[in-house]
Amino acid sequence: MEIIEKIKTNKSTDNLTEIQKICLHKLQSSPLPNPKSELWRLSNKSKLSNFLDYSVNENNSKFDIPYPKNSQSTIRLIIGENCQIKLIEKNYSIQQLSEDKLQKYIKEQISFFNQNENWSDLLNLSLSCKNNILGLKINGSKIPPIEIFSHASSNSLNAKTLVIFLEKNCNVELLQVNLGQENSSLSQSTFFCMKENSSVNHGVVSYGENRSNLLNSLNVIQQKNSSYNLGTLHFKFDYSRFEISIKQAAGNAKTNIKGMQITKKDEQISTYTKIEFNGPNGFLDQINKSLADDKSHAIFEGSIIVPKIAQRTDASQLSRNLLLSNLAQIDTKPQLEIIADDVKCKHGATISQLNEEELFYMRTRGITLKEASKLQLSSFFQEIISFIPISKDKWDLLDKLLNEN
Amino acid sequence: MVNENLVKDVVKEPYKYGFVTDIETEKIEKGLNEDIIKLISQKKEEPKFLLDFRLKAFKKWQKMKEPDWAALGYKKIDYQDIIYYSAPKQKEKISSLDEVDPKLLETFDKLGIPLTEQKKLTNVAVDAVFDSVSIATTFREELAKHGVIFCSISEAVKNHADLIEKYLGTVVPASDNYFAALNSAVFSDGSFVFIPKGVTCPMDLSSYFRINSGDSGQFERTLIIAEESSSVSYLEGCTAPMFDTNTLHAAVVELIALDDASIKYSTVQNWYAGDEEGIGGIFNFVTKRGKCLGKRSKISWSQVETGSAITWKYPSCLLLGEESVGEFYSVALTNNLQQADTGTKMIHIGPKTKSTIVSKGISAGNSKNSYRGLVKMGTKATGSRNYSQCDSMLIGDQASANTFPYIKSQQPNSEIEHEASTCRISEDQLFYLQSRGIEFEEAVSMMVSGFCRDVFNQLPMEFAAEADKLLALKLEGSVG
Repeated sequence: MEIIEKIKTNKSTDNLTEIQKICLHKLQSSPLPNPKSELWRLSNKSKLSNFLDYSVNENNSKFDIPYPKNSQSTIRLIIGENCQIKLIEKNYSIQQLSEDKLQKYIKEQISFFNQNENWSDLLNLSLSCKNNILGLKINGSKIPPIEIFSHASSNSLNAKTLVIFLEKNCNVELLQVNLGQENSSLSQSTFFCMKENSSVNHGVVSYGENRSNLLNSLNVIQQKNSSYNLGTLHFKFDYSRFEISIKQAAGNAKTNIKGMQITKKDEQISTYTKIEFNGPNGFLDQINKSLADDKSHAIFEGSIIVPKIAQRTDASQLSRNLLLSNLAQIDTKPQLEIIADDVKCKHGATISQLNEEELFYMRTRGITLKEASKLQLSSFFQEIISFIPISKDKWDLLDKLLNEN
Repeated sequence: MVNENLVKDVVKEPYKYGFVTDIETEKIEKGLNEDIIKLISQKKEEPKFLLDFRLKAFKKWQKMKEPDWAALGYKKIDYQDIIYYSAPKQKEKISSLDEVDPKLLETFDKLGIPLTEQKKLTNVAVDAVFDSVSIATTFREELAKHGVIFCSISEAVKNHADLIEKYLGTVVPASDNYFAALNSAVFSDGSFVFIPKGVTCPMDLSSYFRINSGDSGQFERTLIIAEESSSVSYLEGCTAPMFDTNTLHAAVVELIALDDASIKYSTVQNWYAGDEEGIGGIFNFVTKRGKCLGKRSKISWSQVETGSAITWKYPSCLLLGEESVGEFYSVALTNNLQQADTGTKMIHIGPKTKSTIVSKGISAGNSKNSYRGLVKMGTKATGSRNYSQCDSMLIGDQASANTFPYIKSQQPNSEIEHEASTCRISEDQLFYLQSRGIEFEEAVSMMVSGFCRDVFNQLPMEFAAEADKLLALKLEGSVG
């Protein structure tokens, strides 16, 4: 674990930013997360150490963007490359966050960090240099769709950070694509700060190539009447962790999450979500799907926390899992922690394989077993993919997934 | 709008089993060490294998740490400040119930436990355990005619040592967890049941646990073995007097079901829960586990948990035999400052195994009620199925309800379904009932009872009535 050794011994802090120094300092006392804690218990230790075996690369190599631009108006940004942006139009403005504001916000977030829960963020912020942090302030409506790419190049670890401020009444579609090249590690942390009445359709699509790793963390703070819609898809990583933390700071907000992870070979892909309601009238609708094949391992842990103040919260969480092989395994743990009494909370979880009756029905109609299972899978995928903004028309994710099956 | 205070009043009900029986008891000194364990073993005239079992468990316990993962908060237990053996003084050998100290009989009479022969009509055989020892077991001859062995575990150690040696610690090994290891080292008494091949036990068996002294812990051990094609229904009840100190109760229950056997184990736990400020009450740390060893065997747990300051209890099933069935039905009611972390583990190992979990949690006052369950499908559990449902009901805005289901599958040919919901007593429903002339407290009680119906239906008749009454008592009373 080259990185950890470096963190432990790092003394030459001259060319580091203040944030990097703070995070490094925090990490030095306990450089690795507690492997016995609920959040890390199931994580494959040797895979995590593989993730940390690459040396940090602050420069960015070229990579192929997987699909053409939808239309001319789409705004496309690549973290670490063309970070300069200043668009001020009649209806909207997209600007870079000022250095001060960015620093202040990140520092404030760090002060709430818990060594174990936010270990991925601490690692990310201690490694990502100034060039690899993108801060955006988005204002207005009728904003053209935004695409933001992060990628890790072969034989290295890349750390990228994205901070987005959504101003009042702003409404935007944003797609984040995380790509890993062969033998690479990507650490991506994203911070969303949503002001009142803002709304976003956020898509996160992450996939890698041979033996690539990902630590993806997403922190969202929602103010009143904001609406956060998230569609996510993670596949083809040897090791991937997606940690989502959403806080409805004053309640009265809406959160919709539809996520999916697909594991094959001996991959391990996991999703951890923590949704906190810090005010009344919150709403959550979450569905997480996993599909595990070959010798792979898919994990989902979701917690919903409803303190006393969060009366009239309406939260539901569903974990649906398909286990397709004898050697694969699925762990799922949806959990509720409730103190408020006037709430509607429910969760559900299922693990099964493809429905045999449906397969039989299709086969009696002359559809081959292969096609029939493809049809079933496509309906399993479709619900999630149709929720991911922008890409859904041009970039045929569904075909990509099905052809790989 | 529901009057908050009204609800609070409704959930208050004094504990009526809180009296202390003034009886001369024999206690050993406080503290835990090898000598104490040897002393307990010596008092009970145990064979060597059992003493070795105890000492081995004690060594393991010393190396273990008290678990802290449960959503419970309690002050640290001083294990050296507990008396590990306490028994009412009585004549050496009892040949009939007439020789039992009348004070003891009176105690169980007050608790409504039919020990005396007049109450034979109830047709339930009872093993009554008072602090560390078993006082009496009824209907033994009747049961013996059918080949059923039902006695205290101390007697079983003397008379059926081969069975004890063969089965003790095979379901819950001494090193299983902190409290199981402690129990294995110091267990004093409990019940032993053996149902031979092909026998359907002619009556329900029951054991009744009573903690009487305030400074001694209760560490009972129950072992039930059901041979091929046999079946038994076993009931367990618990009460304790009110003390302002916390008393530790760490029990171990082991069930073994062979081919086609079925065991139904029902508990109504009503230990003293402490007062409104959370002073006193029993710390209830129990390991209960059943092993479905044989093909088509079945183990069914049903529990009504209303007492104890702290409840830490996960009755589990290891489903090894092909087509074996595990069931768990639970109602847990917490009030005031009670805390309960309870649930089940269903470990599917054999093929075509089935399990059902129905858990209902009701939290009122400032209490904390958590469901924690594990469902695991092993690689060989093809064609297995699990269904879990856990519902929580919150009464008042200070109570908390948590659900932590752990689900793990390694077998694609199996199905797991889990659902959970949280609700409160709906104002619409209350309004409806009240508008039909039903009093507020009766309406609340009706709704709680309806909420628990799925579980009560699984309890044996005598218990279902008692449980319903118990919940109603806990929820009724002070309005009017």
